[in-house]
Amino acid sequence: MRDLFLVVDATSRGNFSKLTRHRVPGAIPFGGKYRLIDFTLSNCKNSGINNVAIFPYGNYRSLSDHIGSGDRWDLSRRHDGIFILPPKNLSITLENEISFQRMYEHIEYFYRSNQEYAIITTANMVWNVDYYQFLEEHLKHEADLTEVLSDMHKVLKTYIISKKLLLEYIENYDQIAFRNLSDVFDYGPSIKKHTIVIDTFSYNISSASELYEANMQILLPWVRKQLFLETRPIYSKETMSAPSRYGDFAKIKNSIIASGAVIEGEVENSIIGRKVRVHYGAKIKDSIIMNQSVIENDALVEYSIFDKETKVLKGSVVTGEEDEIFVSEKKQIVTTHKKLAILQLSAECYPYIKTGGLADVVGALAEEFSDMGKKSQVMLPLYPQIKEKYDLLLELKVSNSVKYDKKMYKVNLYSITNTNTVYYFIESYDFFEREKIYGYEDDGDRFAFFTVAALSFLDTIDEHPDIIHIHDWHLGLLPLLLKTRNIDIKTLMTIHNIEYQGIYDLDILKKLEIDNPLQYTRLSKLNFMEIGLNNATKISTVSETYKDELRYEYYSKNLVEIINKRFRDFYGILNGLSKDVNPTEDLEIAMKYNLVNVFTAKKVNKIDLQRRLNINQGDNYFIIGMVSRIVEQKGFEIIIPALHQILENQEIEFVILGTGDEIYLEQLKTLKDRFPDRVSINLTYDATKPSYIYAGSDVFLMPSRYEPCGIGQMIALRYGTIPIVRQTGGLNDTIDNFDTSSKRGNGFKFFNYDTRDLLFQLNNAFNLHKNNKSDWNQLIINAMNSRFSLADSAKKYLELYQMI
Amino acid sequence: MKKMLAMILVGGRGTRLGDITKKIAKPAVSFGAKYRLIDFTLSNLSNSNISTVGIVTQYEPFELMNYIGSGASWDLDYIDGGIRFLTPYSQQGDVLWQKGTAHAIKQYYRFIEEYKAEYVLILSGDHIYKMDYNEMLKTHIEQKAEVTIAATNISFKEASRFGILEINQDNRLVNFTEKPANPKSTLASMGIYIFSTSVLKELFNREEEEDLTDFGKDIIPHCLRMKRDLAVHVFKDYWRDVGTVNSLYNSNMDLLEDFNFLGLNSSKNFPIFSKSLNLPPHIVMDTGSVTSSVIADGSIIAGKVHHSTLAYSTVVGLNSTVEDSVILPNVKIGNNVYLKKVIVNQDVDIPDNYYYSSNEVCLLTEDKLLEVGEIK
Repeated sequence: MRDLFLVVDATSRGNFSKLTRHRVPGAIPFGGKYRLIDFTLSNCKNSGINNVAIFPYGNYRSLSDHIGSGDRWDLSRRHDGIFILPPKNLSITLENEISFQRMYEHIEYFYRSNQEYAIITTANMVWNVDYYQFLEEHLKHEADLTEVLSDMHKVLKTYIISKKLLLEYIENYDQIAFRNLSDVFDYGPSIKKHTIVIDTFSYNISSASELYEANMQILLPWVRKQLFLETRPIYSKETMSAPSRYGDFAKIKNSIIASGAVIEGEVENSIIGRKVRVHYGAKIKDSIIMNQSVIENDALVEYSIFDKETKVLKGSVVTGEEDEIFVSEKKQIVTTHKKLAILQLSAECYPYIKTGGLADVVGALAEEFSDMGKKSQVMLPLYPQIKEKYDLLLELKVSNSVKYDKKMYKVNLYSITNTNTVYYFIESYDFFEREKIYGYEDDGDRFAFFTVAALSFLDTIDEHPDIIHIHDWHLGLLPLLLKTRNIDIKTLMTIHNIEYQGIYDLDILKKLEIDNPLQYTRLSKLNFMEIGLNNATKISTVSETYKDELRYEYYSKNLVEIINKRFRDFYGILNGLSKDVNPTEDLEIAMKYNLVNVFTAKKVNKIDLQRRLNINQGDNYFIIGMVSRIVEQKGFEIIIPALHQILENQEIEFVILGTGDEIYLEQLKTLKDRFPDRVSINLTYDATKPSYIYAGSDVFLMPSRYEPCGIGQMIALRYGTIPIVRQTGGLNDTIDNFDTSSKRGNGFKFFNYDTRDLLFQLNNAFNLHKNNKSDWNQLIINAMNSRFSLADSAKKYLELYQMI
Repeated sequence: MKKMLAMILVGGRGTRLGDITKKIAKPAVSFGAKYRLIDFTLSNLSNSNISTVGIVTQYEPFELMNYIGSGASWDLDYIDGGIRFLTPYSQQGDVLWQKGTAHAIKQYYRFIEEYKAEYVLILSGDHIYKMDYNEMLKTHIEQKAEVTIAATNISFKEASRFGILEINQDNRLVNFTEKPANPKSTLASMGIYIFSTSVLKELFNREEEEDLTDFGKDIIPHCLRMKRDLAVHVFKDYWRDVGTVNSLYNSNMDLLEDFNFLGLNSSKNFPIFSKSLNLPPHIVMDTGSVTSSVIADGSIIAGKVHHSTLAYSTVVGLNSTVEDSVILPNVKIGNNVYLKKVIVNQDVDIPDNYYYSSNEVCLLTEDKLLEVGEIK
């Protein structure tokens, strides 16, 4: 029984929202008293395996707390035992599956293990199986690589392989075309593959909604029967807790209650963790309540997942929906959403003034907040462009004098009310009455002045704000000014682009009457963003993955220390895409479409695109489209060599719209010269009307080196054009790799920033498109069904405001 | 060197608990759904930071030893000290069982010497209470006593079941009567003693022939006669000696009545530990209901449970009702069963349609099921 060792893949972060802020997924509580990893480790014990390696990403403290010495699973051994092998190279970002490269970092472990075979499985599996039965099957079929699938043929990321072959892959990780075992299984030639389909309950949990579903399934008797066997118990860390206790008026139905819980209220269809307290009059339905949470009297909880020690205050109503579960953070205090008054301060806001994506986000959030019944307000400088266009609507509210640099300046406050959102504009001849909105030497002074002027109006505007949400560097000084002036309003600062930090002279602080500038910064220059990040109550950025990436210097550069210092207050909220962007109403494309006629319309639009851009026409061409600024960040270092190779295939065409750096424009022109009939380069940036490219292309290329959120890939999805992206920032959060066995996923993504990996996915996409129409069509449907709505991001911001 | 080590005496047969202790030692008897009686004493030791514990076993020690294991569940698995099982042995081929509680300690006096403790704490393994033994040691030291006895006030009615203490103004023991017919006080000995080690040594090394075999019957009266310095430490919180079927039942009901019983569900700094059994949390099915009760892991409730304690792996079938009862571990109750005011012994299967209700507490065992109740 000593010939099998276990590699636990805990490298995937999954999509668990707030539940993985303080832990890796394997440490997430499950089923009232367990953690997800208990199932894998118990299977290990019950199979008699005593050599286990866990490969976690990032924050594995709570995992190692839980595992301790491993004695609970008989894994505290003199020989072998349990090993937690953390990433050595922290600048490698997250992947969905353990890579050979990651294993190579700890290749000593593999050399030292003297078992002949390895089982690789994930830390998030809920099942009760005998690993030796898998090995027997593997040996019986003389397979080189065996994959285990669920009874529904879902991928479980579980493999059996000989140590010898595994070592070959690990040692040559930088020579072979496969990053991990599922690549080998799906594409690896010349090895004998075998598939085991198990017939008992299994669930590989990778998101909050799957966690919810799996928890609900253990309420089913047949699932419990297959999961909790007397002969193969599930072991968990021993904790001290009393028996569960029920009060005189407890009402309980179809629920699992862990020890130490005290139930005086009502519980239905729910999983209640250890030492949870449900007070009299409280009601919990269809929810998962983790350890030590407290539900006070008369509170109502539905469709929620509460992380540990959540507290629901008396009489609060917390209701998620079946397809949109409410998730609380550890130790969060939850109350009924009150009527919040929000003030957003920004340098730009759609529709009044816009130079980039920031304006869209601010404007859209403002409208969504009003729709959700909040008091939504926005304050901007009054640029001449706004004055010109909205002259008739602007209403003068009040005039003020504002002191800056020992002088008094006159400012006027105007407002426009647009469907319940109130927009305020600050007029100042000295600072904002200029031709452009940015790009002056004194931009630092201008926005410092805007900040102090905005403060002077806080008591004048209609609703005194409960929260001030500031965007990018321009308002970076606001939280500090609130502090020095003893104004108690909470702030959220959102980073849209960390490249622009607003670096100006330290004197600006003096002009704002802040003495001792060295008390607030150690730098010789004033960095608006640094001051903001240091002083805002909470900070956020525009995707979960980008938030994690910013912990590394590669992404956050000079601000890496401050980001790490404030990491516990740092959140990632994905931007959404306006409902107005869609192929159903688009007048710019040859044939409007939706899910019903997409396959016909895509053909029509493809021909239209080819005709418009004067490239070879034909439905059989595979068109790679791009709408992008042509700059290094967007991946042109790897795009151009990849295009030179892939376009040798006569069935592929490439079109791009955008403008940017001369060096890449030249290289694109060379490409065009080489393949004149199949390449179209359009260097007039006409960002407003690129939709014919989205509608007519088959795939949308976006292999950015970094991408905080990204919007192109979301537009592409809506147009049923399949994104090929690099796994970074918002691209990682919006695109799931298409999986041919489960038919899930909405695009193609790759990890390494190199041409070879990009080509690998381009070829995969081309082959699927050419050889498997039904899968390709499914992929288009999945893409168009992907949902990234502004309402969702607004909701997440509201939750965050509530937590502040 | 240790300041104080503890000896737990678990020798008693516990015959008054009837069939409950037929197969298991009294301290291993289940209490309050999740616990065994010994949990309270072991948790007290753990919370009092006493790290060397001798457990003197005698009767059916297997389940108890199995349960306690290394003592890790109570955080008592120390390399230096920790838990030691001291089982009786015969010295000259004739004495197989210890003659009494004190005799047992005498036999293992070497254990006390090995750790050179200044004080020896003598405990029982079957009491329900929460006590910091350092408080008692403080009394012992402050009073400059040679022996300290822990005592608690009980009702006059019960007094004839206990050893009754009479004390003077300085909390010194002046008289001791074991189970008196006409008690002169309601201050009862809890069977918990602290001895200064030197005193214990003297007592065991006496020249006299008369053997001191029992603490209550022999040693304390002997010390009184010899005018030894005997202090009394009065304990004011909840304490029960669960000696009979009725007292086991009543203590379980005490736990149900008092929502904060011994702070079990709330106390953070003085927790009562218990060994985890690797069972899934319990489930209450669609058809089930539970009120005013405590339930342990592994149970499946499809019927109605009211005002009862259910130990681990209890099954309550459809349309069945359990009221005012104490269900010991691993009991399977079929469908359409009615039970009121019973203790169901460990591992008993109650058949479908079984009915039993009475005003007197009754112990249901496998063989007596149909003598007391009926299948309807």
